[in-house]
Amino acid sequence: MSDENTVHITSYKEHISTWAALMLLTFMTVAVSVFGAELRTLSVATAMIIATVKATAVGYYFMHIKYDPKLYKWMMGTVLALFVFFMIMLTIDYLTR
Amino acid sequence: MTVDTLPYTTFYKAKKGIWSWLFTLDHKRIALLYLYAIISFFLVGASLGILMRLELLNPGKDIIEPHTYNQIFTLHGVIMIFLFIIPSIPAIFGNFFLPLMLGTDDVAFPKLNLLSFYLYVIGALFALATLVFGDGPADTGWTFYAPYSVKTGTNVTMSVLAAFILGFSSILTGLNFIVTIHRLRTPGMSFNKMPLFVWSLYATSWIQLLATPVIGITLLMIVAERVFGIGLFDPSIGGDPILYQHLFWIYSHPAVYIMALPAMGVVSEIIPTFAQRTIFGYKAIAYSSMAIAFIGYFVWGHHMFTSGMSGPAAIIFSILTFLVAIPTSIKVFNWLATLYKGSISIETPLLFALAFIFNFLIGGLTGLVNGALAADIHVHDTYFVVGHFHYVMFGGTGFAFFGALHYWFPKIWGRMYNKKVANTAFTLFLIGFNTLYFPMLILGIMGMPRRYYDYLPEFTFWNQISTFGSWITVSSIILMLANLIIAGRKGKRTTDNPWNGITLEWQTKSPPPVENFTKMPELPEGGPYNYPNAKKA
Repeated sequence: MSDENTVHITSYKEHISTWAALMLLTFMTVAVSVFGAELRTLSVATAMIIATVKATAVGYYFMHIKYDPKLYKWMMGTVLALFVFFMIMLTIDYLTR
Repeated sequence: MTVDTLPYTTFYKAKKGIWSWLFTLDHKRIALLYLYAIISFFLVGASLGILMRLELLNPGKDIIEPHTYNQIFTLHGVIMIFLFIIPSIPAIFGNFFLPLMLGTDDVAFPKLNLLSFYLYVIGALFALATLVFGDGPADTGWTFYAPYSVKTGTNVTMSVLAAFILGFSSILTGLNFIVTIHRLRTPGMSFNKMPLFVWSLYATSWIQLLATPVIGITLLMIVAERVFGIGLFDPSIGGDPILYQHLFWIYSHPAVYIMALPAMGVVSEIIPTFAQRTIFGYKAIAYSSMAIAFIGYFVWGHHMFTSGMSGPAAIIFSILTFLVAIPTSIKVFNWLATLYKGSISIETPLLFALAFIFNFLIGGLTGLVNGALAADIHVHDTYFVVGHFHYVMFGGTGFAFFGALHYWFPKIWGRMYNKKVANTAFTLFLIGFNTLYFPMLILGIMGMPRRYYDYLPEFTFWNQISTFGSWITVSSIILMLANLIIAGRKGKRTTDNPWNGITLEWQTKSPPPVENFTKMPELPEGGPYNYPNAKKA
């Protein structure tokens, strides 16, 4: 077997940095929604992009996707692509209705 | 003790008593628990369908009130979709045969498997409880479309909670199967040496895992809307009902493939076995399952062409819908090519598989009519759609389900049914099914709307033919089930491999032992369908 049973010990520094980044992104989401409310569609799009970055960070660092085989990264990527497609089609429907 | 010297005790006899069944972790016993539960709910759903057809025998009131009719077609839909078709093949035959076909002793997470079953039971109880609690079952149709589902006084909350709980059962089964397929294949069985039924379960499991959470959240949003009046879907308080349809169909269209893909897997097993011939285009069939699962995510909007969705979005969804036909037809061509120059033996399971192709072809082609934007505007929400849907689901998955039951019956019970009675029941079933549903396609083109309690006199003839078909269908199902029940108790003992199959489940005893194999199964040389006596073309 390759690295399937390997234990990955990550540093406190990496954990805390990831956590700090997530907190910062959360504040950014709140700030955009409060101070950028007049931007309407753009503020929603910004919130979605930030949420995607946060989900990626959680998956990559906290859930150890970074240590997994490429197949799992492809699986995660496919799921993300499906979600993006869903949002694009919804947006097309709303903007052209 | 090596595996070669293990004593042989069937999984039926390994432990005794009701508790050994209710708390079993054996995938085969859990599969049988599913079988008995799912068949019971199928009979309830079928009874409701018969009641609807009786009411539609003549224009005006025949036996039930309009409001009761609305509740009956909703409960019929909820039971048949969530309690029968979605779990039928994966939960019963997937559970029983996935580990056997992979050459392993159980699924990856046996306890999770039992939890899935109990979630199924709890969800089913919620659905049935709507009959006695509150103002009766929901009257919205199985789609729970907003804003009506938000406003109606019937028991929508309990119905959607039933679907929510059943969704969790489905997700956990999908997760279990994916891990089992990735981790527990017998040594030497690469992905490209897996049986095609396993491939179909793999594709199905991904849909279950990825699409089902969407419907779970959406249904909770309906409950939140009813309880708190948030304004998500109800336009009178700022909501968007079309958003509900988007969210609903993002799950429910891929769910059609949760229902259809395992059926295609069953057909892919039956045809090479009864043709005793290597399956034509193994990789094409395997990868087309994945392609159907993948493309199936992108076509949900074709259910919404007349909903008020924008024109450009409708055009995109119509184009994407036609793409799904490609991998589906790849399968059909490959099945037919497999039969060519095969040593065909006409047994009951093969008849069901051939009927699947016939019915599914009608269902698929009428689906293309619905998928064409301009044509759909004329037939949308007519009986044409009801006919199309039943051709795909009942004519397709239903026939494959009963085909699978006849195919694997000797392996599960170690006995053989009366083949003459089985063939008679099949013939009646095929005639009854087409008499029941083909008139619906005609009625739809004539303009009869779906879900209507009453109809104009010019629709009477075809409605009566359809109701007559429902009597033939129900008679054939009773005959078929009676034959199988008698065979399960008193049928003639059969050999371990009565059909000369070469996938791994045929290498073990019938019924299988608790640990599935008494000796290590051997992979057939040259792939899972390389029949040794096949004619060389």
